[in-house]
Amino acid sequence: MLTTLAAAVLVSLAPAAPAPLQGQTDTTFAVPAGASLQVNNFGGAIVVHAWNQNRVKVHAEHGSRGRIEVSLVGGTVMVKASSRQGAPSVVDFEITVPATMALTLSGTYAEITVDGVQGPISAETVEGEIDVRGGKGIITLHSIQGSVTLTDASGRIEVNSVNEDVELSNVSGQIKAETTNGDVTLTGVTSSSVEAATINGDVLYEGTIADGGSYSFSSHNGDITVSVPENANVTVTAATANGDIDASFTLPFTGTPGKRRYTFKLGSGSARMEVESFQGDIELRRPSELRDRRDRRDRRQHNDKDHEEY
Amino acid sequence: MNDQWTDRLSEYLDGELEAAQREALEAHLGTCAACRATLEELRGVVARAKGLEDRPPKVDLWPRINARLTPGWQPGVSRDTTVRRFTRRVSFSVPQLLAASIALVLLSGGGAWLALKPDAVAETPQPTATTFTAVSWPSRTDKAVAELQEALTRNESRLDTATVRVVRENLAVIDRAIAEARSALEADPASTYLNLHLANTMRRKMELLRRVNAIAAARS
Repeated sequence: MLTTLAAAVLVSLAPAAPAPLQGQTDTTFAVPAGASLQVNNFGGAIVVHAWNQNRVKVHAEHGSRGRIEVSLVGGTVMVKASSRQGAPSVVDFEITVPATMALTLSGTYAEITVDGVQGPISAETVEGEIDVRGGKGIITLHSIQGSVTLTDASGRIEVNSVNEDVELSNVSGQIKAETTNGDVTLTGVTSSSVEAATINGDVLYEGTIADGGSYSFSSHNGDITVSVPENANVTVTAATANGDIDASFTLPFTGTPGKRRYTFKLGSGSARMEVESFQGDIELRRPSELRDRRDRRDRRQHNDKDHEEY
Repeated sequence: MNDQWTDRLSEYLDGELEAAQREALEAHLGTCAACRATLEELRGVVARAKGLEDRPPKVDLWPRINARLTPGWQPGVSRDTTVRRFTRRVSFSVPQLLAASIALVLLSGGGAWLALKPDAVAETPQPTATTFTAVSWPSRTDKAVAELQEALTRNESRLDTATVRVVRENLAVIDRAIAEARSALEADPASTYLNLHLANTMRRKMELLRRVNAIAAARS
């Protein structure tokens, strides 16, 4: 199999006369059930789509120095970009895989996009955005300088950036989302375990609060907004050093309020929630209020856009 | 073990439970050996945290960490996956307990050891609870952070200048947060929230340093 794939790639890489400034690699091959995909690309793009075939299709566009290695090793399809000489080549990959294939995607200056895959996903880049729709199982997405977006995923999810926003929507499972200098936005979440943290940014959580669940939201220098459904059974501990705590419903404090830390119980209080911001405000809102707020914002942005176009 | 009760043990220790809850928990403790054991562990952690004194760890772990951060060392792929294990925070919500737990991990450079430990160093003596018991956490943590920063200074030539700039800016963001937390803590040293917040913010700094060092080392 290794030989077959290598041959296919080498054929596509064979130089034509005159030598092209821009190279292109195309290869499609069958993979065994349960095979996984590993892609390493120094710079460029990694775009992965899903289809309902047990085959992998690799399309790569690269400079004339670019070299694409495709191999199958122990049930893992390995796709690697390298350069024949000198500095690493910039390669744009577009790869189509079986829908349930597990993905491990890494790059340095690489933008990573995954659409529709329903298997475990690991994606890591230094300077580039990560945008994933889909994923099931263990999902880890890490970027230093790029934003990270995940939608329509379920499983054990760990997402972080350093210098940009992190946004998750329509996700379920065990969720951890962090950044240093950016916002963390979680909407449409179904989970009994959520951790969301930033140093310099806001945190928004719109999702379920499951009985017996555990939720933690923190920021140093930003506001935290959490939706609390009317029927939630949760014990909330809210703490701030220099901000305010505000709720659009009555907060039944339990115990003795501390100087900076307050605890109150809603319903049976079986879930636990910690909401902490050093400098920012803490807002507890009903889901309908946050939906209305988001609708107003979307309308405003839409109007602004129309105005700019006009 | 019943998570519902486990999560309340720290409040129980702090005397924050309402009477009915306290009685229910005590009834549960009578029938649940796991919760009784956990409660004893928590008591031990709090006691150790209160009795911290400055004493170096039995094993100086930093030279090994440092060696692995120096140019020429070829990191294994497994290095980062080791530390990126998905750890659900031990969410005993008693602030002292959590602060103490984080502090105990950060202390003595053990946090750095945990953060950088590659799979292949199984022979390295693992820091144990007794290792952590005898340190003054701010100074020890500061030292570990400073050494990680020195390692980054050595390694950052392997990184793109834009990446270095972004990392430095973000470290500065965290440093400001740490300074603000420390300042607030000086005015209110008993605040469990502030202690916890400072510990968490320092943990974030160590994680960022560790991560960037790993990226730089991977480019050797």
